[in-house]
Amino acid sequence: MIFRILLYAGLALLLPGLCALGYSLWEGPAAWTTDARTFWGVPVSLFVFWIGIAHAGTLISAILLALGVRLDRRTSLLAELTTLCALVVAAIFPLMHLGVVENFYMVIPFADARGSFANLRSPLVWDFCCIAVYALLSLVYFSIHLFSERFQVLEDLRRPMAWLLFPLVLWVHTVVSLDFAVTFVPQWQGAFFPLYFIAGAIYSGLAMVNVLLVAEGCRVRLLEKLMMAFSFLMLLFWGWIFALKGEWNFSVFAFGALLPQLWWISPVRESPLGRLAVSFSVLFGLWLERFFLVSPSVGSFGKIDAGLVAFSVGLFTTLLVLLRIKLRKPIEGNELLFGELDEKSAPVVEHHTEPLTSREFIVLRFPLLVGVLVALVYTLWAVSRPAFDTVSVVLPNVAPLFYPIVALVAAVVLCVRPFWKIATDKSAADLVSNSKTHSLAWKIVAVFSFAAVGFLAGMFYAGGASENAIRQSSADIPSEVITDATVPDSLHARAVWNARCSGCHGTDGKFNEKFIREFYPVPQKLTAARLDSLGEDSLVHVILNGRANMNPYEGRLTESEARALVRYMHSLAPADTMEVAP
Amino acid sequence: MDRREFLKLFSVTVAGFALFGCREGVFGPSVKAAKKTPAFADFENEVRLALSKMKPAMELVRIPMPSALKTPGASTENRFGMAIDLDACDGCGKCVLACIQENNIPLSGRAQAARGQFMHWIEMCGGVPAMCFHCGDAPCEKVCPTGAANHTPDGVSAMMYKRCTGSRFCGANCPVGARKFNFEDPVDSGRSLQFNSDVPVRTKGVMEKCSLCLQRLQDDRHDFKALHPGEHWRGRGVTTACAAACPKNAIIFGNWLDEKSLLVLAAKDRVLYAPKAVASLDPSIVYMGERR
Repeated sequence: MIFRILLYAGLALLLPGLCALGYSLWEGPAAWTTDARTFWGVPVSLFVFWIGIAHAGTLISAILLALGVRLDRRTSLLAELTTLCALVVAAIFPLMHLGVVENFYMVIPFADARGSFANLRSPLVWDFCCIAVYALLSLVYFSIHLFSERFQVLEDLRRPMAWLLFPLVLWVHTVVSLDFAVTFVPQWQGAFFPLYFIAGAIYSGLAMVNVLLVAEGCRVRLLEKLMMAFSFLMLLFWGWIFALKGEWNFSVFAFGALLPQLWWISPVRESPLGRLAVSFSVLFGLWLERFFLVSPSVGSFGKIDAGLVAFSVGLFTTLLVLLRIKLRKPIEGNELLFGELDEKSAPVVEHHTEPLTSREFIVLRFPLLVGVLVALVYTLWAVSRPAFDTVSVVLPNVAPLFYPIVALVAAVVLCVRPFWKIATDKSAADLVSNSKTHSLAWKIVAVFSFAAVGFLAGMFYAGGASENAIRQSSADIPSEVITDATVPDSLHARAVWNARCSGCHGTDGKFNEKFIREFYPVPQKLTAARLDSLGEDSLVHVILNGRANMNPYEGRLTESEARALVRYMHSLAPADTMEVAP
Repeated sequence: MDRREFLKLFSVTVAGFALFGCREGVFGPSVKAAKKTPAFADFENEVRLALSKMKPAMELVRIPMPSALKTPGASTENRFGMAIDLDACDGCGKCVLACIQENNIPLSGRAQAARGQFMHWIEMCGGVPAMCFHCGDAPCEKVCPTGAANHTPDGVSAMMYKRCTGSRFCGANCPVGARKFNFEDPVDSGRSLQFNSDVPVRTKGVMEKCSLCLQRLQDDRHDFKALHPGEHWRGRGVTTACAAACPKNAIIFGNWLDEKSLLVLAAKDRVLYAPKAVASLDPSIVYMGERR
């Protein structure tokens, strides 16, 4: 019942929110209220807010597991589900924040066939990689937990995975805070920003899980106590910022720290409505905090801004409720209630283990070794071979990607054997494909993932690998030829070609493909037959007046120079066909 | 999948593709509004408006003469820059208009203009022109995720418009706010005129800023390469649109590393200043004060 109400509420927020999203995609960044000084706006603050909630979900589940604090299966599954849904919501906002959304792939540091590469010095690139790795590992961690009841191998995998995720959560949110901390904006400066962001993320995530626990009709005291502890921690940070920069936002303080203190009054904390109010107040206060942080001088809040907020809340609620209903069986499987611990499956806390002999370490040491090696190779490669000639990439520029790479590789190595075991296990295979609809769903998923992989591969390798055309400067023309007065006209044309045309068309007339492929549709090759069919006059016309992506050169070249260029093109073209003939 | 199901799916797919193919005809005319073009007087009026909403003067500090760039791959022969003569400039704003005409800068929207936000690459701050300072250690280039903001070996902080994805990180990180974002499509919204065919009109969603009239430098380099093969190009004889338009000759363009450059000759015996915000970032564009 409660889920149905939540689902309707989510949809009621989502549908108008979708209109706001569509309008802002159509209109671009002018749609939402922006700030003359920072150019950013609501999408970035929503991104920071939801990514914070996404981090706290894993924190509650993985860090508590890794530290040996026991939490029941239902609560931790709920927290992990929160992570996944919040990640989906958070991933949308940086994308729609972009001015040219279709160019988003240029942020991915992937050595593509065009030979272009993202700028590794930018925190946005670190952000993208870290969050992508985090999303992948969260999904793996959640599915391991979901199926861990059925397979003992997966249950054994949970603690090592938790140990991999523990530093990753802290790392990723540190990188998110660096988006702000590396800039020159005075409000965003401070070495304490990573800790401040992590504390804020955990605080908001705890509040979110508490809201969901109210919806489930129960309470987990550990999480409530943690939330209260974090309210004081955040107060400390806000006080610190006030001491440093003299900034104090009363509404953030009121919603984020003052109202939550109502929890000390027992009637408030014992009634579901009171707990809900306290948790919502925390969430609202922390969202306000992010909003004022991202756009310090923005005064107004428009309709589209409100629509985007509604969209994020609606999408999160809808996704969460749908998944919760879909996964009712595995989540509520073993009849344990919230807050109750299953003593059997709870991990035994080893009190006196010699260093380097714990079971997790023994399981993890080989995957970690592989991960560190791969990350080292990547670091060395990235530092030794910067993508741009005029950029020096130093170690601090590459370091933010180090642990995510370690975690990704280690998790893959860690999971290979258990998953192989399960896949080859016959009874498990029967369990997975017991119904016909199930296998159809798997087939659809497989087809879609193949299509997605093909799409990505096609995007990166469009046109195949290309070589740079031979770059020949005019300095390469031997000087004795220059003094030779017998062929001044064609030589001049060659110099003009090399100076003005070779940038795109290549010194040999075969295009500078590395440049062309990145920016333009590749034009047709200038073969002898094509040159003849076009005729000299029309080619001169194209050179002087431009055509499609070709720039006009009138005023920069005389007509006689253009004619000489056309003749020079003729002299280049036969060489082209000669190459193909044998 | 039986036959009926297949036929249903197939026809839906075909219908979907047909709709997609007809989108120009169905949605086209209503979506594409008739293109307006502004008059030249609009641009003149906007410059006057910008002068009336002048920004306050920046705090200036003394700096040494710019020297060769320290970035890898930088040229040891060329580093282009400008010096703005504080004594000669009377803040007439002709450089702003010249820049608009040279670089096809669009008009800004009414709401933005009311807030004093213009697309002009040159802005008057306390009566003197200020533009991108082309920092040798440019903070905007460091945070650009795609490398669209980059440094040429000749010391120009350049923009690769086709590579820009519009994250606006560079704008957030510019200490003097020299970067302008195209919130609207300048052509579709009828706010741009292509005065100069050598410079592309930027599209919606990309950043732009002073390019130090890169097209003039490129043109001269190409000419030089064609006419004097084998010689080293120093950019002599090139000047920017703002420098050419200045009636008091208060803006001087040149090559900081060329002893014979007008810029070096003019700046040699003057005290040089830069805004405090970029003074430590090795700016290429400086202010000239009193004689030493």
